[in-house]
This record gives sequence, C-alpha cells and structure tokens, in this order.
Amino acid sequence: MGRTAPTYRQALEERMKRWDAFARLLTTPEERAAFELLRTGARRYVAQATYVGSPDLLESILLSVLTDLAVRLRADGAGRPASR
Amino acid sequence: MSPDGAAPAPDGWLLDITESGDGRSVVLWTKERRSGRVRRTAVDYRPPFFVSGSKADLLDLGRRLSGRSDVASTDLGAGRPSLYDRRTRPLLAVTPAHHRARRRLAGAIDALGGYERFALYDVDLAVPQLYHLGHGLYPFAPVVGSGARLSATEPAATIDYALPPLALARLEVRLAGTRRGRLPPPDGRIGSVRLGETTLEGPEEDLLRALVGELARRDPDVLLTEGGDAFDLPWLYRRAAACGLAPEEFVLGREPVPFAPSRPARSFESYGRVLHRDASFPLPGRFHVDGENSFLYDDAAIPGLVDAARLSRLSLQTVVRQSPGTCFTAMEMAEALARGIHVPWKKNRPEAFRRGDHLVRADRGGVIFLPPVGAHDRVDEFDFANLYPHLMVRRNLSAETLECRCCPASPVRAPGLGYRSCERAVGLIPRTLGPLLARRLAYKARLRRPELPPEERSRLERRVKMLKWILVTAFGYQGYRNARFGRIECHEAINAYARELLATLASEAERAGYRVVHGIVDSLWLRPLEPGGAVDPEGFARTMGERFDVPLGYEGRYRWIVFLPAVTHGLGVPNRYYGLYERGAFKLRGIGGRRHDTPGLLRRLEVEILALFRRAGGAEELRALVPRALARADLFAGRLREGAWPLEELLVAHRIGQAPEAFVTFTDSVAAVRQLAEAGALRGAGETVRYAILDRRSRSFRGRVRPAELVRGDERYDVGAYLELLAREAETLLAPFGVDRATLLARWGAPAPPERDPYRSPEARPQTVLAAGF
Repeated sequence: MGRTAPTYRQALEERMKRWDAFARLLTTPEERAAFELLRTGARRYVAQATYVGSPDLLESILLSVLTDLAVRLRADGAGRPASR
Repeated sequence: MSPDGAAPAPDGWLLDITESGDGRSVVLWTKERRSGRVRRTAVDYRPPFFVSGSKADLLDLGRRLSGRSDVASTDLGAGRPSLYDRRTRPLLAVTPAHHRARRRLAGAIDALGGYERFALYDVDLAVPQLYHLGHGLYPFAPVVGSGARLSATEPAATIDYALPPLALARLEVRLAGTRRGRLPPPDGRIGSVRLGETTLEGPEEDLLRALVGELARRDPDVLLTEGGDAFDLPWLYRRAAACGLAPEEFVLGREPVPFAPSRPARSFESYGRVLHRDASFPLPGRFHVDGENSFLYDDAAIPGLVDAARLSRLSLQTVVRQSPGTCFTAMEMAEALARGIHVPWKKNRPEAFRRGDHLVRADRGGVIFLPPVGAHDRVDEFDFANLYPHLMVRRNLSAETLECRCCPASPVRAPGLGYRSCERAVGLIPRTLGPLLARRLAYKARLRRPELPPEERSRLERRVKMLKWILVTAFGYQGYRNARFGRIECHEAINAYARELLATLASEAERAGYRVVHGIVDSLWLRPLEPGGAVDPEGFARTMGERFDVPLGYEGRYRWIVFLPAVTHGLGVPNRYYGLYERGAFKLRGIGGRRHDTPGLLRRLEVEILALFRRAGGAEELRALVPRALARADLFAGRLREGAWPLEELLVAHRIGQAPEAFVTFTDSVAAVRQLAEAGALRGAGETVRYAILDRRSRSFRGRVRPAELVRGDERYDVGAYLELLAREAETLLAPFGVDRATLLARWGAPAPPERDPYRSPEARPQTVLAAGF
C-alpha cells in the first residue's frame, strides 16, 4: 500500500505544499484564517476520499472542502457551533 | 494418532535436528522419556534441490554437472514444482556433495542457464528443515523408535500435546570489578559465572573449566540468557581462547563448535527504520535462548516458541532469533512441500502491467477515520479478531487462486477491483492459515474455562500471542515482492474486502442506534445515540460477526477516551489515544509509556496523570481534573529545576539511524556514540544508545551528553532540555484540553521553544532587502 502509487493522504499533503505559495500572498489575517479553514476541511475527509479511490485528486479535495463548508453553513444557520 | 490420548506412549522426544560439520549428514537430538537423557544420532542425509527447464536443457545440464566435484548426483524426473503448474514438467534433482555447496552450486546452475532458462526450487531451505519435512518429523515431536528410525506419534498440528520435560538453566557472566551494563575493559576478566542457582568463582581458567563440568553435570536442555548473543557467550569464548582453551575443551552445547558466531551482527532496514541484530551463538543440541536478542521471547516465552517450532519445522534456536514472518514463511513452505509443491528460489512472477488509474484504485489500505480530538464518554469498542487472515481463508485469497483459469464466473470478487477467487481448489495461504486460526480459537476457548490451572493458563496465553504475531505478518507477506508465495493482487484484494466490511459495519452500526466516533481498519469506536445506551453491544457484535462470517469482538465500554491531535495541523491522528474501560483497565496507544525509549521521568509523569484521571467517571469529570494534572506537572518541573532528579530517570534512548562515521550534524546521540567509541565500545546503525543530556548547547561531545555506560554519578543535567521534554509530554496528554508546551515553559520560567512557521525555518532572518528588490 502506498508503495507503487502514493496514498491519498500523501498526495493531499503534497498538493497542499503547492498551496503554500498561494497562502503567502494573502495579505489579511481574515484571508489567511479562511484559507486555513479550507486546508482543515480537506484533511477532515481523508478517510472518505481514500475510500472513493478517485484518480482525480482535485475532485476528492473539492468534495472534502465543500462538505466541510456545507456542514459549517448548516451549523451556523441552526445557530449552534460546528463540531464533529 | 488422535489427540484424545489414543496415541502410543512415546519413547521420547525429538528436540532438534542440526547440520553436522561434515556437510553430509544431520544430527538428531532426542530426549529419552525414561532416562531423561539426550541422545545424539548422526544420519547420512544430503537433500537434493530441483531444476526445471526444457528437457534438452536439463539433459545438457546433467551432463555438465556430472564431472563436478561439488555434485554428488543428478537425477532427471518429472514433477509439478510450481504452485501454478497444472501438468508435469521435466525436473532435474541435483544433490550437492556438501551442505555448504548448496547455494553456490545453485548459483552456478542459474548462471549456466543464463539466469532465464532454469527455475530452481528448494535451494535455500535449511537442511534440518528438509529432513523434518521429508521424514514426517518436527521439533519436539513425541517419537517412537530409536536412532535414525524415528516416527512421530501424533501430527505436528495436534492442539493438545505434552511439552517434553525441558531442563532450563539461566546463565550469567560477571566480569571482575565491573558492574553489568557498564562498559567492560577490552581485556576484562570473568570474575564469576552463574548457572542456575550455582555461582562459580575462582581463577579464570579454573572457573571456565568448572563451568564446562557443571554444564555436563546438570545437562540443561535450554540455556537462558539476557544478552547472551551480545555479551555472555562471545565473552566466554574470548576469555576461553585467552586462557588457551581449545574449542574441544570448552563446550557449552552438547558438541564442540568454533569460538565464532554462526551469524555475525548486522544492521538492516525495515519499513524505514534501521534495525540491528546481534550476532547469534546457537549451541548444537542445547538451546541457547537470548531474551534480549529475540523479538518473540518477551511475548511467547518457551511454550509459544515450542508451538511455533513444531508448526514451522524450524529449530527453537532459529525461531527465537527470527521474526514471526520467517515462521509464517516456513509454515507455508511446509504446507507446500506436503502437497508436492516445491519452494521457488527466486520468485519469477513479475507484476502484470496495470493502468495508472487501476493502481490508484487498487493500491489502497484499510479505512481509517479521522478521530475527533478530545474526551468522549460512553464509547463502545469493537474489533474483528484476525480480520485479514479470516478474509484470506473465507474468500480463498492466495496467489494461485486469484484470477484462476478454472472459474471465470466465480461470484467471489474483490469489491471495486473485481479480482476473482477460485471456487474449486483451496489455496496455499488459506490452507496454511486455516489451521492456525482454528488453533488460536481452540486455545482461546480453553482460556475461557474458569477452572484452568494457572500454569496451563499462562502456557496457553503464550501460544495465543505467538499465533497472533504469525497471523499478523501473514498479510504483509502477500505484498512483499520477494515473498515466495506472495502476489500483490492478493494484498490488494484483502484490503478491498476489509474496506468494504468496515464501511458496511459503520452503516449497520448507525442502524442499530450507534454513531461512529472513530474507526481504524478492523476496529470501530461507537457511541449510542440514546444517552441511556439502549444498544446491546454483545448482541450487536454477535449479529455482525455472523453476518460477515468473521468474528467481531466487543472490547468493552469506555468510561472516557481521549483522542489526541497532531502537533502540525491540530486534527486528530489515528492510533494516538488513551482511555479507561468501565472494567477499570487503561488502553494506551501512541503515548510515551508504551514506548521503550521514554525516559523514566516522562513515564512517571504519565503514570501520575493517568492515576489521577482514573477517578473520572466520564468526560466532564475528566476535564475537571485537568488543572490538578497541570499542578502535578508543575511539581515535576519544580523538582527538575532543583537539579536533584536521579540521572537514571533521565536517560534518553535513541536508535542510531546510520553508521557513526556517516553523521554530518552534531546531535545528542552523535555525542554519545563518539564517547562510547572513544571508550572502545563501537555502536553500529540500528543499535540503541542511552544517554543523559548534560548541556544541549555544548559544542564538545564530552560536555553535551553522558552515555549510560559511562555515568559517574556526579553529572549535572541540562534543566532546560528536560523541562522542554516534560512540557512536550504534558502537551501530548493534555493538548485536547488546551494545554500547549509554550505556555507551560513560560509558566515554568524556561525559554520558549522556537515557534513553528510553515513558511520559513526558525533560523531564517527576514530578507527585507531582497524582498524590496522584487
């Protein structure tokens, strides 16, 4: 496992390194905090994305980030803090 | 031949088979039942290995080999040597003239065939192993008959067997004027030797001769040592040579051996870790068991090792020094040879070509959920016992049964990958594992009997542990490229079935009224949705176990369990948690106390904090105890600062990752290794050094640390370094409650560690000038 093809976890961390450059030119603390939120969202659904085994890395990342955001949205709408 | 006692009373036991020095025979060591004496019988035995190829090539090879002095005979026949063979092929049996010529001769034949025309079989099986398999024998078999005519009275797989009466004796060497564990001088003389309850003392040469006499008088079957391979035996041999004793005079086994290890010490890499194995000093006819040079001895002890030796046909001295994987491979080999299949020398089965997207789908491990960081209560834990071996057996997963040609319509297919399993023949792996699983279950069933005598209980527990290790490694060997009977698709299929199983179990758990808290590969942590916990966990485990045809165990309910975060991103990491079951036992994973290299100081802190947390009945009560846990850490910090903490509790253990001369940066462990080297004790890659930190900022290797072997007792330790370690340990346990090490260090008045910044290293200075230029 993870010997021939990198695991999703490894591929995700590798892709996140590329995002560092993006984060570097974010200039306000709000933007940076929001960006960290995306990273957290991507990491939160590693199990689910691995289970899919999609050859499209970005699809898995987007699904994870969007799920995380949707959960937060619903939690905010219901007036209680997001938690898992 | 049945286990219910109908077997004839044995005349004795076959303890071991060893290769004899003449290279043409083996020695059988049997223990007579009546006299208790051990008898040595040499038997002529030179097993052939096999070469397959085209008939013309084999005839030509036979002619070429006939003149060679290292070949005793050749014989052309036919057989189905490979696991994949359906019809017979020409097969040349080659008998080497000498045991030691075996591998060299095989290499020469491989070269004659241009490394492609010949496939070789049974080359690197040990000669005693082949003798066992060819004669229906196994280590510790009860036997009738004598000399070379031995036959076992029961099969190796018998579950209820009587252990032969083994005489054990502990051996410990002490040098004159040196404490054990400290560095001995290169010419250190032996001051005393303890053998069992007897301590021998006196002038060295007399002492050594007395030891030989005492060994002959007591005649133990097993010599137990702690560090015998690294210290006791080599030192005995060294001093015996220095006293002018010949190997024929100084015999520790039951026949003389040269004063040299049978295998030198070596460093090797496994799963990214560099490991070290001491040289081995087995003794012919008498088992030398070194508790320190054995992975299995701690868990399995003699009863477990005997079980493994019986099943694998490997000598107890081999089993004790080898990994469980070697035992499993040997068991596979035994199963194969019993079915007329031979063991390929080099695996000639390349991976099939597969597309990239297939690899992404296939090359995946088990399901690992992200654990929710923090304290949780009312959590039930379930796990599948031996999930992977069960899947291999139930789904018939083996190299030759996967995608077989005989069952194109088999409905047994790996989820998502479609690999078919054969429906007609049971594969080699399931055949090997099935009896092991049954054996483990039989032992466990017996352990549940309340009236079990304590010695029997401990014996069974050892055997269960031994089997557990062997079963665990069975899976890994499917994916290992050099495994004789492994195949990567098999490894992938097992993972695919396991993922499917856990995913189904998770949704079934929700239907049963649970919410999934966490899950790793074969375990699930679940919390009942109803506060009262309306779910019946035992019933759930039973129903699911039956449904999946793999036993699901209910491990118990936690009063509370704390999942720990990663320092880098703060999200949970699998396999780092601690919790308290309702029955009062702790389960700890990935925290300091579980690891051997944790300094006593940190272990003590952990023990005290856990003892405090034991009082908490749930997550809320646990959180309320955090301030008191912090106060405990403060107390530790205070005493550390006084400089009075005993040095033995501050020893840091570090496994050296590379050869000492290859280091480029100056670290604590490099400083320790250099001091040891200066004192004459070289440490190789994979060995562990233990040291106390004296001054982390010192540039001198003598001032920086002090290795455990060179401790004088007047050292002053580096308070700042240990406060940092203490803060890190407290952070590990308490991070989910908002405790972090920088705050702790500030509170203890120690300098804060450099801040971690993902975008630059701590040493980097702001490059304003350069940045302005762009």
